[in-house]
Amino acid sequence: MTAAEQDATRARAVRAPEAAPAAGQARGSGARAAGQARGSGARGSGARGVSAARPGGGSGSRHGGLGLLGWLRWTWRQLTSMRTALILLFLLALASVPGSVLPQEGIDPAAVTQYYQSHPSLAPILSRLSLFSVFAAPWFAAIYLLLFASLAGCVLPRTIRLVGSARQKPPRAPSNLRRLPASASYVTELAPAEALTSAAGMLGGRRFRLQTGDGWVSAEKGYLREVGNLLFHIALLALLFSVGLGGIFGYKANRLLINGQGFADTPTALDVFHPGRLVTPGDLAPFSINLNGFTASYVSSGPQLDQPISYNAALSYQSEPGGPTRHYDLRVNHPLVVDGVSVYLIGHGYAPVFKVTDGTGKVRWDGPVAFIPVDQTTLTSEGVIKVPDAKPYQLGFAGVFLPTAYDNGGQLESLFPAAQNPRVSLVAYKGNLGMNSGTPQSVYTLDTKDMKLLATSRPLAAGQSMKLPDGAGTVTYLGYQPWISLAITHDPGQLPALISGLAALAGLILSFLVRRRRVFVRAVPAADGTTEVVLGGLARSDAAGGFDTEFAELARLLRAEHAGRPGPASDAGPAAPAGEDVASADMAGEETADEHTADDDTVGEGTVGEGTVGDDTADGLDDLDDQERGVLAVPAAPQAGAVAVTDKPETLRRRADSSREEV
Amino acid sequence: MSPTQHSPVRAVLSAAAAAFAVLAVAGCDGGSIAADVPQSNGQSFVGHSYESTFYAADHRPVAPHVSGTTLTGQKLSLAAYKGDTVVLNFWGSWCDPCRSEAPALGTLARQLQPDHVRFLGIDIRDQPDSALAFMQTFNVGYPSLSDPSDEIALEFHSTVPPAAIPTTLVIDKDGRIAARIFGASTYAELKGLIDKVADLT
Repeated sequence: MTAAEQDATRARAVRAPEAAPAAGQARGSGARAAGQARGSGARGSGARGVSAARPGGGSGSRHGGLGLLGWLRWTWRQLTSMRTALILLFLLALASVPGSVLPQEGIDPAAVTQYYQSHPSLAPILSRLSLFSVFAAPWFAAIYLLLFASLAGCVLPRTIRLVGSARQKPPRAPSNLRRLPASASYVTELAPAEALTSAAGMLGGRRFRLQTGDGWVSAEKGYLREVGNLLFHIALLALLFSVGLGGIFGYKANRLLINGQGFADTPTALDVFHPGRLVTPGDLAPFSINLNGFTASYVSSGPQLDQPISYNAALSYQSEPGGPTRHYDLRVNHPLVVDGVSVYLIGHGYAPVFKVTDGTGKVRWDGPVAFIPVDQTTLTSEGVIKVPDAKPYQLGFAGVFLPTAYDNGGQLESLFPAAQNPRVSLVAYKGNLGMNSGTPQSVYTLDTKDMKLLATSRPLAAGQSMKLPDGAGTVTYLGYQPWISLAITHDPGQLPALISGLAALAGLILSFLVRRRRVFVRAVPAADGTTEVVLGGLARSDAAGGFDTEFAELARLLRAEHAGRPGPASDAGPAAPAGEDVASADMAGEETADEHTADDDTVGEGTVGEGTVGDDTADGLDDLDDQERGVLAVPAAPQAGAVAVTDKPETLRRRADSSREEV
Repeated sequence: MSPTQHSPVRAVLSAAAAAFAVLAVAGCDGGSIAADVPQSNGQSFVGHSYESTFYAADHRPVAPHVSGTTLTGQKLSLAAYKGDTVVLNFWGSWCDPCRSEAPALGTLARQLQPDHVRFLGIDIRDQPDSALAFMQTFNVGYPSLSDPSDEIALEFHSTVPPAAIPTTLVIDKDGRIAARIFGASTYAELKGLIDKVADLT
């Protein structure tokens, strides 16, 4: 034995314990293991793997365990098992939990900084565990990559096997076709060769794939099932690939845009920017967008009160600097597509306009400030104004904007999301805003730690102002502007992912709808010069039924074509002449004997197991899937499906019987 | 936008992770409105300098044509500074790191004026009153172009786009971009780069 042979033997020995149960198991991991056993080299069934392992396997394992290659194979098989894939998928979900519980650097660096301040001892540990950048963490990548490897490792060998399976010719016919789940027989005056030729012609005409041999014809149909399977697996790989493509070359960004303002698709202009790993700022599509108006309408009465009816953002945009200006009405689910980048309308709100004059009489702020809705139904919004360069004190304001303000017994609230009675109330602070230290802070929060409360305003209507005590200045509420929030996404993997998804679905449907089925014909010359024609049929995963009908129809047609009489061995009954019973098949006698005594419903089944479930049978069927092998390898245990299938030919035979009596 | 630098191995690993992150959030595009407003920092800037790059003389991209209106209302073009070394600083009065680097920039601008080093600010996403107040606070003597809609930032699209605020570019006498700092510059760091670009000793 060469070293390579020894390795192969050992590898087979490793496979054997898993391959053996696979033969009996219909679904699940067992079936998968058998598939891998095939994919990894020795072509043939799991059952064969077992027998091949027997001679060498014992010595292989006696010589000190699995060996490096064995361990590698074992590891690979564990990694690519369905169970591992499911565990990894679960881990992936689990691993993304900290991403939504803890602040993330890529999304909100300011919150991370704040977390450092509030948890000075815990934060460095969390940071070390990459919990502030979960999606970029090595351990997260490890899970993702293992999952990818697991899926690819499962799908690729299967794909290769499916290609082989789809190109295969039907196997040679088993020696005793009566053992198959569906069988029929009749006697004809035609010579065996003639009968076979016409049977092959008929099956070929029905687009069966054929193989002929000495005294037999094998036919197989339903290869489209393999094509569907193949399509599904390839599409699955393409889907994974597309998703990766989007993550590497795509980007995703958000931008809040106040009416009357504009921005360009460049990193400094984006509030949140998630570039793919290979995306540089120069890869961003150089468009620019201005917001020229925004309208929103809401249901103003009834149970749907406050529900939005429509949004419309009037945009003008340029695809590139200096290009022509175009207009677009942006609505929900009607993204603007520029240069392969989609711009979605994902939110809106109000930006009250303020003018802040400091203690020296200079205007230090004059413009809108975006407030963020805290109540989505009434659009009650909160925001802050920071005036770090006011003199003599830095000023800060925390404000609430009420689109339709209503005084509910001293408590001010908003009744409606549209701005019908807009009011702003402000709380003013002076002191240190903490902005000069260089530590980034959110523009939407006010850190009042080093500030002193100055005043709280009454609800201000447009044009009203609040004079601040201590000579700190004045703040005036001038009105409001709407703002919209935009999601900008570029995902080059989107279309491929959609196509792969659809292809996977189509492949899956195809593989569910099409049955792979085999029909075998054997013609045996009898002593009296007639020919006995035996038909056997086998369908894979015939859960939907239908094969027995198809088989019965085929048998009927063939018999009619050959002007056949009912076969003696199968259902001649007590009255049948003994001479016609004698067929060359070795089991025929046995079966006849059995059938004479057995109830019609169980005909044949009980006898199958004891005979020689010969190599022939195994050879003929070894490339069928595990499910079929499940039926055939354990024939002694009658299965509901098998009984049901034999049932129909029985009926057929009975019908044939009666027609003969008429003759 | 993460301010940390990644090793190549980690970068590769996280590529796949980023792919999944995108997958995880990609499903909600264009869904219900008002559900996704920026809850966070809102405007992108970086806390501290995390990357400075110097371009060798033969690898310098030509700076784009930059012109506009200053915060005080004058027309100004970068071309007017041709022959001088120019320090271009992208900033905003709302940006905390910009406030921390402003004194260093103001000081350098005054010190290096005799050496033909000119400073020019690009005021991003700002409001003129607060921007002028910023310049007064930090005694910034050099002019700034107002760029509320990022038009000037976009001009750098195909060369060295400012990836964050603040970003500081050093442009050599021939109008080519010679150095770049992302994040708040320090006096020493920026001085070192300018000296290298302008050949000051």
